[in-house]
Amino acid sequence: MIDLQIIPFAIISIIMIGSSIMVVKSKEVVHSAFHCVIAMMSAAGFYVLLSAQFVAVVQILVYVGAIGVMILFAVMLTTRNQEVE
Amino acid sequence: MAIIEIYDLIMHYLVIIFATNDFAPWIRGVLGGLVIGAVFGGALVMVYLERKFLGDMQSRIGPNRVGGRFGVLQLIADAIKLFTKEDIIPAKADKWLFIGAPIVALTSGFLMVAVIPFDLLVIKGNEYAVAVSRMDISILYLEAVSGLAIFATFMAGWGSSSKYAVLAAFRNVAKMIGYEIPLGITVISVAVMAHSLDIVEIVEAQSSIWFIIAQPLGFVVFFIALLADVGRIPFDQTEAEEELVAGWATEYSGMRWGLAFFAEYLHAVVGSFIVTLIFLGGWNGLPIVGNLYIPGIFWVIAKTIMVMMLFIWIRAALPRYRIDQVIDIGWKVLIPLALLNLVWSTIIGLLWA
Repeated sequence: MIDLQIIPFAIISIIMIGSSIMVVKSKEVVHSAFHCVIAMMSAAGFYVLLSAQFVAVVQILVYVGAIGVMILFAVMLTTRNQEVE
Repeated sequence: MAIIEIYDLIMHYLVIIFATNDFAPWIRGVLGGLVIGAVFGGALVMVYLERKFLGDMQSRIGPNRVGGRFGVLQLIADAIKLFTKEDIIPAKADKWLFIGAPIVALTSGFLMVAVIPFDLLVIKGNEYAVAVSRMDISILYLEAVSGLAIFATFMAGWGSSSKYAVLAAFRNVAKMIGYEIPLGITVISVAVMAHSLDIVEIVEAQSSIWFIIAQPLGFVVFFIALLADVGRIPFDQTEAEEELVAGWATEYSGMRWGLAFFAEYLHAVVGSFIVTLIFLGGWNGLPIVGNLYIPGIFWVIAKTIMVMMLFIWIRAALPRYRIDQVIDIGWKVLIPLALLNLVWSTIIGLLWA
């Protein structure tokens, strides 16, 4: 019988790989920033699976709460794609 | 005191179930559902109290038609109205960000609820915290999860493709960067004084003296930063009605707007719980009641309602700051004061231990 932990691990891995690919592939820079945030949060999920709760919470606090907001703050100052007009 | 005896009996059986099925998932689920329902109800109570008391303070009547003289059913009428309204997504909106924003806002609120303890029961020498989940680092977790609410505002603001919403989102991010820091530093100074990052132990450390007395400066800084964090009136530049229509929620309609609005009140309720737990002694009662036994959950809820009333009072009493004044206060006043409080609490905490 396989270890049941493989299921959340697989789900989080798929989310993380998918969002990491979307960071590079998506056309709009805001979407890249949000996919980056999702990838960072799934890293926190891995830490929880490794029963390292403190590292997981600090990952959310530092990477999502601080660096994610910094990236968004930088994106805020760029111009939006005008091709939709 | 028959009610209190019944409460004790219920709690006793709850603890027996807990103890026999240690961490049984369905018990956690039931307790989680109860707590979510309670906080939902708390947010509704806050909306009602706010409308009624604001009415009183501004010499108006407030809701007085639906459900008798005091308008108790007004919220239900509003909810029905919101549910039946048309759900509009603007043609130029960024659809996924627009849809995701209220969901992220509510998720962040409910994740915060998960670690809030309501009482600590000691039965046969074992301690049981009445909380959905008891973590060793719950105060740090609260800090981390409350930070996610910024993304909701940003998603809504950017996704709406409206100049008012974008301006509100910009203001919110700029404000949050400044105010998360004093909030974090004051929380850390509380943790230094209590020698723990666990909220249950922080409350237990206040059994002799509440932290509002041990570090009054920290309380003031934390309360102001919290007001900014939940976007209540002296700091509600993100939805300043006179300047930005309805801020980041301008383009929302129907139940989506309802969820965004509700998430805001949820954050305010959770914020009042945090103030109660880390500064106002949580379930440690006042000595004035003497030998009369009052359950801890009663103290927590009574103090939380007091803090909510303080929020409403401040909203009625104070005007709104300009955005540059807000940023100035955050960086030039609150952060130095928070650092000063950290030094104070480190010295006092070391002497006190």
